[in-house]
Amino acid sequence: MRGPRLEFAVGAFLLLALASLLVLALASTNNKWGFGGQTYPLKARFSSVGQLRTSAPVKIGGVVVGQVSDISLDPVKYDSIVTLSIDDRYKDLPADTSAGVFTAGLLGESFVGLSPGGDVETLKPGDEIALTQSAVDLMQLVGKYMFSGGGEKPAAASTTSTPSDAPTEQIK
Amino acid sequence: MPFVAATRSLGAAGLFALSVLRASKPTRDFFAELTREIYKIGARSLPIVAAGGAFVGLSVTLLGYRALETYGATGQVSALLGLGLYRELGPVLTALLFVGRAGSSIAAELGLMRATDQITALSLMAIDPVAKTVAPRFWAAVVSVPLLTAIFVSLAITAGYFEAVHVIGIDGGTFWQTMKDSVDFHDDFLVAFIKAAIFGATSALVAAYVGFHAEPTIEGTSVATTRAVVNASLLVLMFNFVLSALLFRS
Repeated sequence: MRGPRLEFAVGAFLLLALASLLVLALASTNNKWGFGGQTYPLKARFSSVGQLRTSAPVKIGGVVVGQVSDISLDPVKYDSIVTLSIDDRYKDLPADTSAGVFTAGLLGESFVGLSPGGDVETLKPGDEIALTQSAVDLMQLVGKYMFSGGGEKPAAASTTSTPSDAPTEQIK
Repeated sequence: MPFVAATRSLGAAGLFALSVLRASKPTRDFFAELTREIYKIGARSLPIVAAGGAFVGLSVTLLGYRALETYGATGQVSALLGLGLYRELGPVLTALLFVGRAGSSIAAELGLMRATDQITALSLMAIDPVAKTVAPRFWAAVVSVPLLTAIFVSLAITAGYFEAVHVIGIDGGTFWQTMKDSVDFHDDFLVAFIKAAIFGATSALVAAYVGFHAEPTIEGTSVATTRAVVNASLLVLMFNFVLSALLFRS
């Protein structure tokens, strides 16, 4: 096999492979072609971030608007500073926006939820979000339920029975 | 002195790789050879890679469904499929199939050329045998393995889709959206094809090296073929770990 037929076979192979590359890139990835640059940073202080990790999503009303780019500990005050990179489309967040660390479902991933306030002032890139709500420790809550209050035994048992198998997953 | 011998053979392989790079000049003859090699080792590996990808997609979907069912998170099966394929399975399995299908043939061809004195004949005619025989095969592998990986992954995802949606009964929209949410264009998609190109280069270099330096006997050729497959597969698996550790941070 030589000449035109060979070249046709190679050309067909290249076309097929490149076409599947293109389809894969469009259909199965998050389509973020750009190399950053279209986000701006915001900071938020939490006394505890729980299971939050970098690259966790930042959501407003359940819609992803950015991600956690850095988590560090303030060496003086000992609370954690979470840096969020927010998409540039959401440039004008009110200055009294509040942030909280939430968990999706019982065992789901942690994310930062923002709830915008009504201030006319807006947050500038690099600003710190003043109103924050730390992560809720599920284990502590369950512990409080189990070891506080003696009365109403059957009711207490029924409330603890549902989450009781979940925390055992987290003790490791 | 096994240590000295090992270091020497590593150095010889490194020098061989350098000579391949130096011998790659974009001449007309080079492109004619390159086309032929892409056909031989790329296009003709397509059926095995496509079939392999489809079956891997099916089994990963089944396995993922079985494991995620415990947590009621079966919708996440496409995240597992997508991430698993792009990060590890796609490049590695394509490279291993490529080593078995094309690496062995590279080593056997070059080994036979050595045994029948064709390589010596080329040098006698003042034609650089590395430029004539090795360089086109090397570049053909560097081009072909990422493209074959693309075909492997697309067949695996298609097969996984059919398994998940039409056999298991997961919602089709959830399947695609979960995959899109979890596969990052740079961190997963591009890295997969960088990995694939490195694996292609590695496997072609190893196969060409052992073939080119085979004992000029029939037995030497068979030893070279075996060694090409064993060494190239091992190197691909080792490099995969190193690359995964370096490239994936989250």
